[in-house]
Amino acid sequence: MAELEFIHVNKTYGGDTPAVRDLNLQVEEGEFVVLVGPSGCGKTTALRMVAGLEEISSGEIRIGDRVVNELAPRDRDIAMVFQNYALYPHKSVYDNLAFGLRMRKVPKEEQRKRVEEIAHKLGLADMLERRPAQLSGGQRQRVAMGRAIVREPKAFLMDEPLSNLDAKLRVQMRAEIARIQKALHVTTLYVTHDQVEAMTMGDRVAVMRDGILQQVDTPQHLYDAPANLFVASFVGSPPMNIFEAAVDADGTRLVFGETQLDVPGRVLREYAGRRVAVGIRPEEVREASSWDGARVRGSVLLVEALGAEQLVHIEVAATPLERADLVDAAAQPPGPSLGVEDLERSVTLLGRFDRHLLLTPGEAVEVAIDPRLLHFFDLETGLALPTVDAPLVAGVAG
Amino acid sequence: MASVAESEFTLASRRRRFSRRRLGRIAAPYVLLAPAAAVVAVVLAYPLYLLGKMSFEKYGLFELIRHKGRWIGTANYSSIFHDAEFWRVVLRTIAFTAVCVSLTMVLGTAIALLLLQVGRVMRVALTTGLVLVWAIPTIVAVDLWRWMVDFEFGVANWTLTKLQLGDFIRHDWFANPWTGFGVFTALIVWGAIPFVSITVYAGLAQVPHELLEAAAIDGARPWAAFREVTLPLLKPIFVILTSLSIIWDFQVFQQIWVMLDGRPNSDYYTMAIYAFHESFQISEYGLGAAIAVVMVMFMFAATLVYLRQMLRTGEVR
Amino acid sequence: MSSVTQIAPTPVAPVVTRPRARKRLRKAGWNALGLLVLVVMVFPVYWMVATAFKPGHDILSYTPQWFPAHPTLSNFTDAVHQPFFWDAVKNSLIVVSVVVALSLALAFLAALALAKFNFYGRKGFIVIILGVQMVPLAALIIPLYILMSRLGQVDKLSGVIVMYLTFVLPFAVWTLRGFLLGVPKELEESAMVDGATRFGAFVRILLPLVGPGLVATSIFAFIQAWNEFIIAYVFLHTPEKQTLMVWLASFTTLRGTDWGPLMAGATLCALPVIVFFLLVQRRIAFGLTAGAVKG
Repeated sequence: MAELEFIHVNKTYGGDTPAVRDLNLQVEEGEFVVLVGPSGCGKTTALRMVAGLEEISSGEIRIGDRVVNELAPRDRDIAMVFQNYALYPHKSVYDNLAFGLRMRKVPKEEQRKRVEEIAHKLGLADMLERRPAQLSGGQRQRVAMGRAIVREPKAFLMDEPLSNLDAKLRVQMRAEIARIQKALHVTTLYVTHDQVEAMTMGDRVAVMRDGILQQVDTPQHLYDAPANLFVASFVGSPPMNIFEAAVDADGTRLVFGETQLDVPGRVLREYAGRRVAVGIRPEEVREASSWDGARVRGSVLLVEALGAEQLVHIEVAATPLERADLVDAAAQPPGPSLGVEDLERSVTLLGRFDRHLLLTPGEAVEVAIDPRLLHFFDLETGLALPTVDAPLVAGVAG
Repeated sequence: MASVAESEFTLASRRRRFSRRRLGRIAAPYVLLAPAAAVVAVVLAYPLYLLGKMSFEKYGLFELIRHKGRWIGTANYSSIFHDAEFWRVVLRTIAFTAVCVSLTMVLGTAIALLLLQVGRVMRVALTTGLVLVWAIPTIVAVDLWRWMVDFEFGVANWTLTKLQLGDFIRHDWFANPWTGFGVFTALIVWGAIPFVSITVYAGLAQVPHELLEAAAIDGARPWAAFREVTLPLLKPIFVILTSLSIIWDFQVFQQIWVMLDGRPNSDYYTMAIYAFHESFQISEYGLGAAIAVVMVMFMFAATLVYLRQMLRTGEVR
Repeated sequence: MSSVTQIAPTPVAPVVTRPRARKRLRKAGWNALGLLVLVVMVFPVYWMVATAFKPGHDILSYTPQWFPAHPTLSNFTDAVHQPFFWDAVKNSLIVVSVVVALSLALAFLAALALAKFNFYGRKGFIVIILGVQMVPLAALIIPLYILMSRLGQVDKLSGVIVMYLTFVLPFAVWTLRGFLLGVPKELEESAMVDGATRFGAFVRILLPLVGPGLVATSIFAFIQAWNEFIIAYVFLHTPEKQTLMVWLASFTTLRGTDWGPLMAGATLCALPVIVFFLLVQRRIAFGLTAGAVKG
């Protein structure tokens, strides 16, 4: 029985476009599900509907086996961690932690016991008398979490709790939150715009865009088998390389620029004589020296040294994706603008190369692309074409 | 040799130029402040000092002509402190201020809360109405209230009689100082409510809605959330408004003076009127000054509270 | 298990939630209360204006006539033809315009000093600015009279103007300082890098940017100077020199209680201020307490 469930949930503000469209999602007991997507995708709205801070236009939300649409937030037995922590500024850390318990008339002794226990576990034991203004960002974050934990709710709701922290602290707190959740085994719905956070923390990740759920799956599956162009471009950093190519009359070959790749299997049969979108992950763009198969010729535009590896931008003859609205806008690598002859006919591929290779900008290079590792997408709808390795169940499920 | 002398010369001249420019920059703020400071000093600071000095002097008509007072030490103070009338006036002023300020703050806050609850159209209408009342000059307000409580044709008497709260036909509100002050209280509170309501409402709107959401999720009912989250955040505003109201209401003069045609009987004396009367009507400027000084002392406490709160809220950087 | 959603969702019959009737009823209740409060607060003003438009016999009736059945302008013409009305208008206008102009200039300079410079005595000056507003005018009027009579400024508009300036300046300086602090320092700095002197940057860059602040301050000064009574009453003796508020206050002593013209006169005196107040209301409340609530 799912602990948290969205059933055909819609949310519209006034007469504008809907913020959330027909959302169906289940969160199992003890599961950590992350709602991720670019800003404006409806993830925060969905979370706030669970909390009771937004009205549900249509559909049902269940917590446990109760429909909670009409319940006030305080009756839903959930706890929320806000992006700005929302700590009561004039109350001490102790009073902040104890507030929820006090409102529910928990006896004072019990309050003290629970607050001190949680404070101890979160390393806040000697700060109980301080005010939030006297705490650091990380400490405030922990108080916000403690306030949620101490109430022992049915579910945690977290609204981008790490966005206000600096990068290093964020990495640290990410692990802490994940650990705490595992230890407490509390159902958690977590919202973020950062796909790295989503991938590292979630048992399952739900990708949203423009109010519509694109795909919900384990992080690895999302990475390996994205359901559409948006998910493919959104998940993974650096982002997947995407471009257009033509399929030959037999449906066995992919043609782009001067390259012709044989594609095994029946993947492209339906698209014989048509064009498709092609995706390849940067780590699958390899240096071609020991590769038997087809090679793609290109020239080096830029080399970014990351220490453990190099990110190489390679200009390759191919057609860029025309339907830019099908992919995540923020995730596209900068196009080759200055110094490129023909913008219509070339595409920049990002490759993750071994750090020992010596490459210089302007140098001609050959890359190896394994056709079995390519992802294919319909150019009209953006949906992924089913491949042999990752058969997809097309259509609505769940 | 020559080069050393040269470099010394340039160094010295540069130092001179440097200090002149620096001097200009240091002097600039004082120069900018000077005109405003001069006006304030002449019209405010000097008279304040004069006030203090005069309170220790005999300053009657004779002294007025000679432009100089006669030092008599604390005689003015001892004469007013021994005057029962003075203490009656002080008590009356304090009581009147207390009533006015309490009513203003309570009603003003209630209306601010009401503004939160009503629909958008009503909120705009109510705010506009409040601003309209706020805009009425004091003398105009006195006139319109005078008309409303007119003993013969005033609408107040007619309404109260119609509501069967007693027989108010031809009731002269100012015959009895209790009802008279009732009118003044109504007049002053009526005029003061808009400022309090609008300011408190602005403060309420500034409470971060996330805090209230967190409180709602934590299990607080609306009233508990108001008490635990909103009120503490509004405390600075309440302190400022209350101390300002005390300062303003303690000084009430015009309303009583104009309503009673410049001839209030002694039952209507507030400290301000008493001081004015002693000075300009009996020409005992020294006594009037002493009363005024005591008035300032009384308000000093409230002023300190106000100043401290304003400074604390980060207005002064 | 993975679940996939198509990009274009198939339409699903929406589950209609119950109409929130009880919530709407509560809202209507609050609105009714709001209406009641509105009527009670605004009634005196309405009554004044209504009376101003009523002919004498409709005013002097034992049962109040709620709406002017025979509206007339006779009260207004009557009031306007009172002796010294136009003198009073002229005096008020003179006083107000000079006070507004001077206070803007002086306050801007002083606000510059307080906002853009760090100097010895700055905090003390700010305390004085705030504290000075608290000195009771009724107390101060006594030595002021003595001082002004020594300077020969009794019964002179110039004396009144200077006194008004003093009471307007503190708030004006405070408000303009607030506005100046809101202008980012980088703007001045880039102007100076581009070749302006410090003062040039002040006048060319800052002055236009605090336009709204200047407008708000001038309106505030206007309202203060227009409404002021005590000083004008004490210092202006000859009727030709009196301002509008003094004229209005002496209306009753001259005419007994002639309610129609009195209300008309009162309405006229209030009109300019009402107009300006409606223009600037939000600024005033906000300016006094901005930043007081911390979250």
